Amino acid sequence: MYRRCGRSLLVLAISILLVPLAGCWSSNEIEDLALSTGLAMDKGQPAPVEKELEGKGSTYAKRNRVMVTIQVAPIKSKGNQGKDQSGKQSAYMNVSGSGDSIFEIFRQFSIRLDRPVIGHHLKVVVISVDLLRKQSIEQITDFLLRDNNIRPSTLVYLSDGPARETLISKMPGEVPSFHIAGMHRNQSRTSKVLDPVTLTKLDSLTHSRKSFVLQTLVTGGGEIQLSGAGIINGSTGRFIGSLNQEDTESLNWLIGGGDAGPIKAYDRNGQPITYELLSMKSKITPRTEGEQISFKVGIETEGRLIETWDEQAHPTTNEYAEELEEQFEEKLQEKMQNLLRKLQTKYKTDVAGFGQRLAIEKPAVWRKVKDDWDRTFSRSQVTITCKVKITDFGSFTEK
Amino acid sequence: MLSSVIDYIPGWNVWTQAILAFLIPILASKIYKKMYAITGKGKKPDTADSKKAETLLEPSGAPFSGDYEADIQVIRDRIGGNSDLIFREIRMEKTNVRAALFYVAGMHNDRVLDLHLMEFLMFEAGSDTINEPGRIRDRLPFSCLLEASDLNSFNRSVMFGHIGLMIEGELGGLLIEYPNGANRSVQEPLSEALLRGPRLGFTEVLSENTSMLRRQGFSDQLEIKTQKVGTRLRKDLALAYIKDIVNPDLLEEVSARIGKMDFDFIAESGYVEQLIEDNYLSPFQQVQNTERPDRAIAALLEGRIAILLDGTPFVLIVPSTFSMLLQSPEDYYERWLPGSLLRMLRFLAAFLALMAPALYISFISFHPGLIPTELAMSIIETRQGVPFPSLIEVLILEVSIEILREAGIRLPKPVGPAMGIVGGLIIGDAAVQAGIVSPFLVIVVAVTAISSFSIPIYSAGLSLRLLRFVGMLFAAFLGMYGTILFFLLLCSHLTKLKSFGVPYLTPVSPFRLRDWKDLFFRAPLALMKRRPAMTKTQDDKRKS
Amino acid sequence: MFTRTDDRITTSQAVVFLTNTVLGAGILTMPRSVTQTTETPDSWLTIFIGGAVILPVILLLVKLSQQFPGQTVFQYAGRIAGKLPGKAICMLLVVYFLVIAGFEIRTLAEVTLFFLLEGTPMWAIVLPFIWLGAYLVGGGINSIARVNQIVFPISMLVLFVSFGVSLRLFDINNLRPVLGEGLLPVFAGLKSSILVYTGCEVILTLVAYMEHPRQAVKAMIGGITIMLAVYLVTIIVVVGGMSVDSVITSTWPTIDLIRSFEVTGFFVERLEFPLMVIWLMQMFCNFCSFFFQSSLGVSQIFNVSYQPVIYGLLPVLFLSTMAPKSLNDLFHLGDAIGMMGIGLFLLVPVLLSLIWLVRVKGLKQHV
Repeated sequence: MYRRCGRSLLVLAISILLVPLAGCWSSNEIEDLALSTGLAMDKGQPAPVEKELEGKGSTYAKRNRVMVTIQVAPIKSKGNQGKDQSGKQSAYMNVSGSGDSIFEIFRQFSIRLDRPVIGHHLKVVVISVDLLRKQSIEQITDFLLRDNNIRPSTLVYLSDGPARETLISKMPGEVPSFHIAGMHRNQSRTSKVLDPVTLTKLDSLTHSRKSFVLQTLVTGGGEIQLSGAGIINGSTGRFIGSLNQEDTESLNWLIGGGDAGPIKAYDRNGQPITYELLSMKSKITPRTEGEQISFKVGIETEGRLIETWDEQAHPTTNEYAEELEEQFEEKLQEKMQNLLRKLQTKYKTDVAGFGQRLAIEKPAVWRKVKDDWDRTFSRSQVTITCKVKITDFGSFTEK
Repeated sequence: MLSSVIDYIPGWNVWTQAILAFLIPILASKIYKKMYAITGKGKKPDTADSKKAETLLEPSGAPFSGDYEADIQVIRDRIGGNSDLIFREIRMEKTNVRAALFYVAGMHNDRVLDLHLMEFLMFEAGSDTINEPGRIRDRLPFSCLLEASDLNSFNRSVMFGHIGLMIEGELGGLLIEYPNGANRSVQEPLSEALLRGPRLGFTEVLSENTSMLRRQGFSDQLEIKTQKVGTRLRKDLALAYIKDIVNPDLLEEVSARIGKMDFDFIAESGYVEQLIEDNYLSPFQQVQNTERPDRAIAALLEGRIAILLDGTPFVLIVPSTFSMLLQSPEDYYERWLPGSLLRMLRFLAAFLALMAPALYISFISFHPGLIPTELAMSIIETRQGVPFPSLIEVLILEVSIEILREAGIRLPKPVGPAMGIVGGLIIGDAAVQAGIVSPFLVIVVAVTAISSFSIPIYSAGLSLRLLRFVGMLFAAFLGMYGTILFFLLLCSHLTKLKSFGVPYLTPVSPFRLRDWKDLFFRAPLALMKRRPAMTKTQDDKRKS
Repeated sequence: MFTRTDDRITTSQAVVFLTNTVLGAGILTMPRSVTQTTETPDSWLTIFIGGAVILPVILLLVKLSQQFPGQTVFQYAGRIAGKLPGKAICMLLVVYFLVIAGFEIRTLAEVTLFFLLEGTPMWAIVLPFIWLGAYLVGGGINSIARVNQIVFPISMLVLFVSFGVSLRLFDINNLRPVLGEGLLPVFAGLKSSILVYTGCEVILTLVAYMEHPRQAVKAMIGGITIMLAVYLVTIIVVVGGMSVDSVITSTWPTIDLIRSFEVTGFFVERLEFPLMVIWLMQMFCNFCSFFFQSSLGVSQIFNVSYQPVIYGLLPVLFLSTMAPKSLNDLFHLGDAIGMMGIGLFLLVPVLLSLIWLVRVKGLKQHV
């Protein structure tokens, strides 16, 4: 009996040992993987390397409708990496390819790289506006939403120029996609930075067929700048135009997204005076009179006078504050009007959430107009009232 | 309709797997049962056999014949071959009666022997002491005076260290004085050192140990019952409990299990533990051991029972539960806030000691997407050039740490810790330099090792060390999923486990809120009004 | 007695048992399945009303079981409806439990394969899970209840911490307007919101094992209330964080919500990891509960001993797990289970109570 038991024990032991050996199906050591940290999409044309490869006959059946660039980091550094050496070499590598299926392009990279690429750590997706003029955003983000590796927390940006250039950095040791991913932190400093749009949010925006804005990136001199926003039309999913920095700032205030940044005006002497926002509240109230829909927008802000170049500036008095408040209110009103003109007459789209307010407060009216909302919005009347309150003058006083 | 149903009938491979799903657990349970049966053989069978064994235990020796010469001859025949047995015949002056002393060299204080015993017997013991039959015991001025019933027990007692005395004309032999072999002095408990609290530790002598328990406080309810265990070399074993607290059913169960022990020699209380525990195949200890009298008495006051064995400083406490493994007497001696903090820290440490390498393997080999990006980047960078998969990498370092630890125990005291540090530091650093392991792993393994040191009971740490390797295998097989399965397996096992009828995971489940005040937290003493519910004590109030 | 030999569970264990039995795969898919039918942000109202609808059902189940103290439905069905019909009804119940158990494991396997172990064969995930379940179920209801008791607080803690952290995405406007489309969509979604409560039939056996069967009503309603609260919080947080449009298009919306942000500076930057951990543990309890019910059913219907039944059911469970061919099949199966649940409810407790009422009150028989 002992012997039989011993034998079955042996069988059990061997099978237990065999399982991990035969198993580990999904096991992949982390250092044998390549993390793709950034993804750029441009309009379809073969990338330079690809052109050369295709010239040698290495090609496959495809139409060049999109060019995808992924950023792989960290790249393998062979041998002993001394502490002083690591700073010199570039920390990332960009691979580009074109085609008409993003997934296929990804797999095409796999025959060029030494390690499988995983998308778990994808931080940013940059889409060039040129591509968005041709393809709808729903088409090009479909793969990103379906894939099980790519997290829905990935941020989406537009790019004025070629998107792949935003993934290039001059600074050694810096990974540009991390740089882009971190830029929205400056929201506490300026309202020119919109709330970052994640893939989840993009999904709900495209699915609801509302028009929306995405922050635009501009490159120049090896640096990246957030410069305004691009408007995506809800019904077509195409890029229809962009807002400049100042309009983006106004938009951010209008939708209640930003509560930081300066308002600069010129006083009677033509000298710049600057106001620092401490808080910003906006309230959109829809009104309906018969068929006519109108909106009342109230913007209230509190802040301090942070800078003035006027040497004959008046002392720290309430009268002076009131005078300045008026000037800033004027300025704010002007900025808002500029923005609304652009939205209502130039682009004829609502990206400031007027529709959403209407849907929340007057669902019955909304149901009637929602199919053709962008046009209805461009015809509706919007009145804006701005209220600026200067609470203090900083830590510098004059008598 | 039919075709769509047929469509859903799975292929042959699924059927094979289904059959496997059936066969493997049956095979596993068969093997388990068989192993359980084999390892469970320490117990005596419950049936009529036990009586037979009882007779085997007590071989009825030859009775004393009453004839002085003959009896002495028998004794000398039986044990006279031992060269350390000293036989001394004397003649009592006053009565002119012969007497014989048997003792083993080295067991007695010579002064006592010479001055008191010999002197008394030779010169003082008069006829009034001796001649009255049956009154010898009353007349001899020795505190320890036993009468041997037969020659065999007389012989055994002499060899164990009593002084045997035979007097001409007396039926039977007398045993004088306690055995007094070489002993260790009382020391601080080595395995359970504390900063605050008594420094007293149990020793190898049963009578000293019981006296330490007694000296914890005045009480007539602390009951200590001694019995002999072991079939060949017999030994004293004492059960200590507080009579008006302990649950009588529990006491009965414990005595029954001890009565069923069947082994020729109980060398250490570990033997007792392994022979009376509920589940022989469990990696968890179901009996707690301690060197500290304060811990033992605290357990008694909770309604538990202490088992003391002669010849070992380790006292067993039953029933024991999982939470007791992570408690230290210091929790109660320090104020309750730091006590609670330390206790929670230990729970965390136990978790790390068990799971950290498994988590490392599952993150590194299976789920690079679940770790923060920065961490992933730095791990990739540091792991460049490590030629092994994470399981092998972890095994290399874990095994060497375990070897180091084992070596540290064997080495002499002044060298041990030094070697631990030197070995750990140098091997870790050199392994990183040589590219065998990644620096990140060194951190993980170091944290694991330190965590497992913080577990107050050494044997509990052993269980966790064992299980850690099992967890690593699970993780290497199925990553995070395997680790969770491992955790669930542990939970399932622990919920099934019982220690003397007390569910091992009490009070977590079955949920006893009353006992939670002494689990993750150590509630202020003012709140500890009642004894734990799990031991179902007779008197459960601690405060009036 | 010091050692307890009876297999009874305490009231708190019964509460947790019921909660864990019903709280399974639904926590990941429920926001989508309910929102898909309502198509408005009012799905939380639907869940609420669904909970209100399910309460009388629970009451009926408990009251029926309380008439036969110490007996499970498998034992008393025969006494009410006659031997053969009773057995037939119970077999239906057993099949139902087996199908749910298979469904739960399959969901678990799909999620695990998709998010954690891409490339591992399905059987390698399913088999260890079933075996582990068999090990636990072999310990009887007490062991299962105890594991439930360990897992439940951990999972609730982690779930609510994850939800709490996800509030950074929460936008109250995603939940507005309330009743913007009127009450109609709310009731349209009622069907799918009742489906998430499938599995509460376990009450029919659970009450028999309670230490204090008199507290059964309180316990079961407590269990359902906890569940209702969890579901409500889940749907409010998920819809509020992701908006209706995103929830509808997401296969596993709860995971997607947690994947939509990163907690930088936290050791576990990606909270889907703890979420997956507790969900897997929760699924284990859930599965074990159904496994236990069905083995108990088989052993009591056919009067065979309990342990061999567990082994006998292993291949059946495995086959029922592997039967769906795709994820779509699986979701259809989920809907079908819901319909089965409603059908079984009409058949088992309602029919049994009616017969019982007729026989006891009407015909004055002693049952």
